[in-house]
Amino acid sequence: MRDDAHSQRGDVKRTDGKAVSRVSVVDESPPRPGPPEGAADEEYRWHSYAVHPSGRPDAVRFVDTYKSFGRSHVLRGLNMALPEGMVSMILGPSGTGKSVCIKHMVGLLYPDSGDVLVHGRSVPDMPDDELFEMRKKFGLLFQDGALFGSMNLFDNVAFPLRQHTEKGDDEIEEIVMRRLNEVGLGDSRTRMPNELSGGMRKRAGFARALVLEPDILLFDEPDSGLDPVRTALLGELILEIHREMIEEAKRKQREHLPTFCVVTHDIMSARRVADYINVLWKGRIVEAGPAEEMLGSENPFIRQFLSGESQGPLTMD
Amino acid sequence: MLEEVGNMMLLTGRTLVSAVRPPYPYGSEFVGQFLFAMRLCWFPLLVSTIAFGYEAPGLQAANFLVLFGALDRLGGFFVLASIREFAPFVDAIVLAGVAGTAITADLGARKIREELDALEVLGVDPIKNLVVPRFLALMLLTGLFDIYALIFGVFGGILATVVNHAPLGPFFATFFNNAETTDLWGSVVKTTLFGAIIAIVCCYKGMTASGGAEGVGRAVNQAVVIAFLGIFAFNYAFTQTLLATHPDITTIIK
Ligand SMILES: Nc1ncnc2c1ncn2[C@@H]1O[C@H](COP(=O)(O)OP(=O)(O)OP(=O)(O)O)[C@@H](O)[C@H]1O
Ligand SMILES: [Mg+2]
Repeated sequence: MRDDAHSQRGDVKRTDGKAVSRVSVVDESPPRPGPPEGAADEEYRWHSYAVHPSGRPDAVRFVDTYKSFGRSHVLRGLNMALPEGMVSMILGPSGTGKSVCIKHMVGLLYPDSGDVLVHGRSVPDMPDDELFEMRKKFGLLFQDGALFGSMNLFDNVAFPLRQHTEKGDDEIEEIVMRRLNEVGLGDSRTRMPNELSGGMRKRAGFARALVLEPDILLFDEPDSGLDPVRTALLGELILEIHREMIEEAKRKQREHLPTFCVVTHDIMSARRVADYINVLWKGRIVEAGPAEEMLGSENPFIRQFLSGESQGPLTMD
Repeated sequence: MLEEVGNMMLLTGRTLVSAVRPPYPYGSEFVGQFLFAMRLCWFPLLVSTIAFGYEAPGLQAANFLVLFGALDRLGGFFVLASIREFAPFVDAIVLAGVAGTAITADLGARKIREELDALEVLGVDPIKNLVVPRFLALMLLTGLFDIYALIFGVFGGILATVVNHAPLGPFFATFFNNAETTDLWGSVVKTTLFGAIIAIVCCYKGMTASGGAEGVGRAVNQAVVIAFLGIFAFNYAFTQTLLATHPDITTIIK
């Protein structure tokens, strides 16, 4: 079964390698959209808006989404997709609105205009009850962990299970301890969040996001604040859990394959983990596509960003 | 500013709806918040009511009444002053300043740590589970503490009478002559609503805090100021209405 999951990843890559699709897709794409209101075309010159097909339906899709906070325009006509059953990355310089994107997906923020679709349903249009149900599809790791300060680690991780399932104490204990051990916090189960380091809180938040085995998992910078070894291990853990969940979903013939979305600055983990990469800058996608094509992109901005060099279009301002 | 008032009205509406619509998961949080606020407030309230009752209406009014040789009317004056105004005000000020700020700081810190967002994503409605219990607890507590403030306020008045070497008989006589049940329930209803105002303002400010630890500090400051303004405005309207609808309480009986 595990091989099956692998070959699935392989499939994606095979479709990529099939032809010189990169060039043709760019050529076939609709006419280049104009810059957002109030911005010069010059600012968006690196945005090729090329989207290389993933060959999958979209679990989440942003359609011309605009969002401003006062005078700061964060999303400026964003079109972005997270393909189903893949590990997607959202990459982008700090402060471009990656966390804001994530909050739009779960209905914590609403777009000023445009739409956000989850499995084809519009999140901003959902009545409260439906939004409530929809959120159960999601597991979310917040950028700072967002553990509940009044509960110890165990209770934090058990919280979603107690909230949404009828599972007994023994079963909850087993699931929670398995997840805590996976992230190396088995021994800290009774500690309170304020006694933990930032990286430990992050890992606990990771465990909490996983316990319900949701359809869509969003990780907001799971690796920031972790040491390099743990970052690498976390990347592997993400892949392994994704594989397991794909198997499980296939066995149970779930309607949707599990979709992961990882927001990160860490190019190394992007290279290791990502099936699909979205590069976000100035409120729009610069270029998006399966990892292989993105890593071979000709776009100077993408090249600079994915290799983490100081030379290139991206500067401090 | 106007937008904020509108948002607080909205929050009040949603809190009321959410409080009556099942399910009711907020029982334990209600008890917890009630006891928490009571522990915080009972002592500051005790000190301020006695001090207030003794100094402001007690000593000052006594000095004034002595001029007319009318110190025996201090009891009657206390009905007007203490039941109708002083006790409710001291009560509200202490609750807003002590319990209200604690609520804002607590919710604000949780907002900053994104705990509130996390709760919402995990299917827990923050209004039902956090605002409603605080709202109900503060209403009940402020109402009860009004009576508590009254008792110690009057105690301050007695102290003032004694200090002025006046007999206590006339104090009580004029006190009970003037005290009407309208006064008492009016006072309790008023303070219960003060509690509602404090709770809404403080929850709102906490839940909308932004900008790190500094932002929480700012939210606490603003919460106190807005709560006080709200209480003053509401008190004015309430007293006017009560006096207009119950003209009998305006006559002072010898
Ligand atoms: N609730 C909010 N109110 C006002 N401004 C906000 C809010 N949330 C985000 N912003 C602004 O939106 C912009 C994007 O923020 P966001 O947190 O999404 O960036 P990011 O891409 O996640 O950055 P990082 O990689 O540093 O986490 C920032 O300028 C931030 O100040
Ligand atoms: Mg972020």
